[in-house]
Amino acid sequence: MLLSNLLEYMGIERNRLHMSWVSSAEATKFIDVVTEVTEAVRALGPNKYFIKDQAKVA
Amino acid sequence: MGDRRATYKRYAQAIPGAFAIQKVDKAPCRLACPAGLNVQGYVQMVKEGKYKEALELIMEDLPLPGVLGRVCPHGCEDACRRCEVDQPLAIRDLKRLAADQFDAREIEIECAPERPEKVAIIGSGPAGLSAAYQLARRGVKSVIYEALSQAGGMLRVGIPDHRLPPEILDQEIEVITNLGVEIKVNTPLGPDLTVDDLFDQGYKAVYLAVGAHKGIGLNIPGEKAKGVRQGVEWLRQVNLDGSAPLGKRVAIIGGGNVAIDVARSAVRLGAESVQVIYRRTRAEMPAWEEEIQAAEAEGVEFVYLTAPQEILVDNGKVDGLRCIRMDLGGADSSGRRRPIPLPGSEIDLDVDMVVPAIGQRPDLSAIEAVSGLEFTRWSTADVDPVTFATGRPGLFAGGDLQSGPWVAIGAIAAGKEAAESIERYLDNADLAAGREPREYGAPVYRPIPADAVVTARAKMPELALAEREGNFREVELGYAAAEGQAEAGRCINCAYCCECYQCVEVCGAGAVTLETHAQERELVDLQVGSVILAPGFTPYDPSGLDFYGFDEHPNVITSMQFERLLSASGPTEGHVVRPSDHKEPQRIAWFQCVGSRDQNRCNNSYCSSVCCMYAIKEAVIAKEHAGDGLDCAIFYMDMRTYGKEFERYYEGAKQQGIRFLRSKVHTIDPVPGSDDLEVRYVNEDGSLASEVFDLIVLSVGLETNPEVVALAQSMGVGVTDGNFCQTDTFAPVTTTREGIFVCGAFQGPKDIPTAVVDASAAAAASGELLSLARNTETRTAEVVPETSVIGQRPRVGVFVCRCGINIAGVVDVPAVRDYAATLPFVEYVNDNMYSCSQDTQEEMTALIKEKGLNRVVVAACTPKTHEPLFQETLLNAGLNKYLFEMVNIRNQDSWVHKNNPEIATGKAKDLVRMAIDKVILKEALAETELNVTQAALVVGGGIAGMTASLSLARQGYPTHLVERTDRLGGQALSLFRTWKGELIQHQLAELVAEVKAEPKVTVHLNTELTAVDGFVGNFNTTLTNGTGEETIEHGVTLMATGAHELVPSEYAYGEDDRIVTSLELDRRLRADDDTVKNLATAVFIQCVGSREPERPYCSRVCCTHAIENALALRERNPEANIYILNRDIRTYGERELIYTKAREAGIIFIRFDVGHKPSISAADGKITVRVTDHILGRPVEIETDLLSLSAAVVPYADEQLAQFYKLPLNADGFFVERHAKLGPSEFATDGVFLCGLAHYPKSIDESISQGKAAASRAVTLLAQERIFTSGEVAQVDPMLCSSCGVCVSVCPYSAPSFIEADARMFAGKATINAALCKGCGLCVASCRSGAIHHKGFDNNQIFAMIDAI
Amino acid sequence: MSDWEPKIVAFLCNWCSYGAADLAGVSRLQYPPNIRVIRIPCTGRMSPKFALSALRNGADGVWVSG
Repeated sequence: MLLSNLLEYMGIERNRLHMSWVSSAEATKFIDVVTEVTEAVRALGPNKYFIKDQAKVA
Repeated sequence: MGDRRATYKRYAQAIPGAFAIQKVDKAPCRLACPAGLNVQGYVQMVKEGKYKEALELIMEDLPLPGVLGRVCPHGCEDACRRCEVDQPLAIRDLKRLAADQFDAREIEIECAPERPEKVAIIGSGPAGLSAAYQLARRGVKSVIYEALSQAGGMLRVGIPDHRLPPEILDQEIEVITNLGVEIKVNTPLGPDLTVDDLFDQGYKAVYLAVGAHKGIGLNIPGEKAKGVRQGVEWLRQVNLDGSAPLGKRVAIIGGGNVAIDVARSAVRLGAESVQVIYRRTRAEMPAWEEEIQAAEAEGVEFVYLTAPQEILVDNGKVDGLRCIRMDLGGADSSGRRRPIPLPGSEIDLDVDMVVPAIGQRPDLSAIEAVSGLEFTRWSTADVDPVTFATGRPGLFAGGDLQSGPWVAIGAIAAGKEAAESIERYLDNADLAAGREPREYGAPVYRPIPADAVVTARAKMPELALAEREGNFREVELGYAAAEGQAEAGRCINCAYCCECYQCVEVCGAGAVTLETHAQERELVDLQVGSVILAPGFTPYDPSGLDFYGFDEHPNVITSMQFERLLSASGPTEGHVVRPSDHKEPQRIAWFQCVGSRDQNRCNNSYCSSVCCMYAIKEAVIAKEHAGDGLDCAIFYMDMRTYGKEFERYYEGAKQQGIRFLRSKVHTIDPVPGSDDLEVRYVNEDGSLASEVFDLIVLSVGLETNPEVVALAQSMGVGVTDGNFCQTDTFAPVTTTREGIFVCGAFQGPKDIPTAVVDASAAAAASGELLSLARNTETRTAEVVPETSVIGQRPRVGVFVCRCGINIAGVVDVPAVRDYAATLPFVEYVNDNMYSCSQDTQEEMTALIKEKGLNRVVVAACTPKTHEPLFQETLLNAGLNKYLFEMVNIRNQDSWVHKNNPEIATGKAKDLVRMAIDKVILKEALAETELNVTQAALVVGGGIAGMTASLSLARQGYPTHLVERTDRLGGQALSLFRTWKGELIQHQLAELVAEVKAEPKVTVHLNTELTAVDGFVGNFNTTLTNGTGEETIEHGVTLMATGAHELVPSEYAYGEDDRIVTSLELDRRLRADDDTVKNLATAVFIQCVGSREPERPYCSRVCCTHAIENALALRERNPEANIYILNRDIRTYGERELIYTKAREAGIIFIRFDVGHKPSISAADGKITVRVTDHILGRPVEIETDLLSLSAAVVPYADEQLAQFYKLPLNADGFFVERHAKLGPSEFATDGVFLCGLAHYPKSIDESISQGKAAASRAVTLLAQERIFTSGEVAQVDPMLCSSCGVCVSVCPYSAPSFIEADARMFAGKATINAALCKGCGLCVASCRSGAIHHKGFDNNQIFAMIDAI
Repeated sequence: MSDWEPKIVAFLCNWCSYGAADLAGVSRLQYPPNIRVIRIPCTGRMSPKFALSALRNGADGVWVSG
């Protein structure tokens, strides 16, 4: 949570960071989560902030 | 719901994770074929349109596919099980289709290198040709001598061209001559060429296959007349010359195919009338039905029930045929009805030609005088029936010459057998060894599919009648490809695997070979000192029970079937749908106790122990899959959730809305117009109810397979009435036969944790017996010295695995390999077909050495299964095993992105790049080697602790047994009798005596633990007995600290000395005093302190205990009223039998709800119990002389003791084992083990099993003597450590500690004990000073991977 | 933009999610190919620095799964 807040503070969308718990027997849950995470990140579009080139300025 | 082929994988998680081939007996068609052709195999190939492959299979046994594909009488079709659906498969026609579609001459026939010996074959019929062909394949060249002008024998001269065009025969004879076989025509045996001459010419062996070409006479007057021609002889002339002298009106005598061939040929050659005279009816005729029909269509007249008596002769020429009419009498030796002449029924037929076609025999004129060759009274060669050897060495005979006139395929078979014999003869080997015909008793076949659709057998197109006149053009025209493939599709694959060996062709790993296919059961003798039986159970089969309608309604399924529906690797990939229409069910019902607790319908009077819990689990998972909308209802008698954490799960399921209906189902009816089912049932209060469900799951019980019962009997192991293994309470894994032990569901129906405990216990029991033999049959691997890589520039080797097509079918493996070669520090790249194969491993070892690689990356499957294998490869190459990184491009790439090969390749490149960047930073890691102190400490001197101590000692390990009281025995000291009726004190005393007498066990009474130091393999535990302290060194610790009986705080306990707990009652029963005699009434109350909000677990033992005590009271008080007030009766397994016995003994069971518990008043010397009877629905008042409270089993929950060894306790105070199912007798903390009541309430037999189990698990560690801990652990850099103590507080394993304040260096800094560290990395992530390094997963390594994305 | 695909760094616990990912493969379940897995011994090993570093290196998302 702290990290999410920090990210937001840095201008990075909270939804770029995902946490989940999947047991080793839950293959179907695994793919559900992968798909969900991928879609969530896709919806945000490319990460524009804080990547190296811009970080140089900071 | 899913189809499965003969090659299949049992399920996704199966171990080994490999495919299996399902085989049963050889298909009936194949067994029916005299030559044993793989019929099912070539039919399947034809179905696939693989004609070449079909011919390859056929030509294993038969070099003439197109010939036999036309003329074979196809005994295979008579055996075809497709008849059980509709009509047999047109097998012969499919063989012909294969030969029509692919030229047999193009098939590559593998031949052994040519041998010097030559063989002469007399006769070029099917037997001679087959022998020559099979000899050529064995490298033996032969010369065939043929008497006639053309090769082929009866195939050439016995069968008219309209059935077998001569060009087909010529082509296929070429198959044989192409192999180097020479055929000399017009070269008969006779005075100029004798068998002796052949041997003299240098032939090492001679095979006589002259056939049976001589017609049998009618033996009636007039046979010498002109116009009488033998059928075979006339046909021979027609076949060789194209025509033969013919009368105008022809009578043919006989009913076989020769008769028909003559008739149809005579029609073609222009006879005016052709009659076939047969003495029986059409039904008995040996000729093929289709031939008879064709002859009729072509104008042949059939005269049945008629026999010739005399050929009327005029002027030496045939002038008619006198016949007599016949009638059919009784059956003769051939089973056909015997024709009897009808006196006075003679008729004369007006014919001018008579052709007898009643049979043939061999013409022996040329071979009569051959020495060593004998003949039977049927004028056939008398040879060994298996080897076809004559009395003369090197001379063999077969085909029609030996069998008498028989089918061509029989001669083919004979030729093949002769070739085998001749090869053995040339090799000087035993001719007969291993060739005895194999007996097939009752063959096992694939069942006829229930959904097989009746489909007509395909018929070949034929030449129009008008076009047949005056010529011998072939009549049957053969199938079109599509038509034939469809016909082949009717095959039901009786043998499952058709042995087409396509899998052998396609398996790049060489895992399936012809040898694999030839695997059979073999008998192996093993010398063993002990046997453990773990044969498991068979789910009860409800098919026979009409009550549940399992056979009738597709939507009634068993719980096992439902498990498969829930499984991600099941037929629906975990999507829950019902069988009838694949609709997602909205309402599912479970019926409990199907095949359990039921003596009337199934004779299984025991409880199957596991069904309640699995039904709840299935309902919970089904709801997880389908969402909250799914209605789940469980119909049950008693809910038996008596296992650890099970009661909580049950309560949780109720919270989730799963309905539990204590009721009896009495009818299941289909709902008209739908696939739904209406269930009518009786509620507990006697009211009727009805509900509709989409799907019904039968919770089927566990049974012992009859084969297991037979096995037990054959081993002399006793079984119970319920067919479970007979054992005693004090020796629960010991069978009635010494040295044979038992575990799992055969010991009694049980769940996984109990079965796993049993398994370890059986291993210990066996180990006690065999401890002297320990390590006598083990092998040790050779250790390659490790080369140092310190200071070396990284030289990375990258191996990319194709995994057959598993990876290479999706990912462009060469591209990944070439890409890797461009990356820094990569010295060598390669790709392998199967990196895990033995030869690739060896190759990798060599390459690492040769190329001087010091880091290795393997891009293949998953490190979880294969990392240890590749690490082993590194070790073999002298590299530290941690200089390795594995890239998962199969499980996490090619398999999951099948439709995106490009992206999958890109992903593989990314992952390889990340791994290379990480592996560069990897270092050689040392594994800490620890000696394991060869001694054990057992804490707790109850039954479990004593059993464990004895087992350890008997397996050779000195054991300290610590007991805090002044006596061994624990809770068992209070107990009276087991449910099996055994007296506990007697047995307990024996156990205590054994422990005291065991020299390796040191008993410490009145002793407690005060301090524990050390870790796995090296514990130092300090004991105190009040007078002094002692420190013991031991390698393992076993916790057997037990539990105690709750002191009840309800039901007026303590207010009257006639209100007692179970254990108090036991003590009274043991004393057998007046307090348990002369009772008018006794009452038991169950679940006192159990299954309540503050103690939400079932104490497991109380139901059985109370019933056993009630029965003990019944013995002493035959007239008393005895009541057991309960919430559910949980007499699991065969304990159910005493529940039944108690009801039969008149003990009354009254159920109550936790919300309406019984109330007690103890006043004026009276104890009165008030309870609401559920069935009567009204309160009952019982005045009793004795009230026994079944008080809960409560753990000691000694937190200090738990802290000593870092052991977790659950919310109820029981210890938490390593894994509920797979590690029930050990802790997550290495070197510490668990047994007895401290784990969970359990009966004496279960405690003993777990005592042995814990010992067993401990011995696996002790026996290693030295252990290595992982190198991937955390390490503190003391220079950076700020001594904040976060690592010490966060570590779940207590690995970090502070260096002593008075230490010479780094005092007060943190240090991590590598032996305790599990490598989780928690401390690394939480170290604020960045002082902790995680070897193998260090920050720089992970950052390198992140940088490389 | 239309052919842009997000790149997501997945930190998977060796014992839990990594096993689930393997099983998904065994079961031939298909899922989007956007994740790049970094196997960690336990989610306890996960440091916020890893997430930041991943984003800094151009990852579009970070997924941590135990």
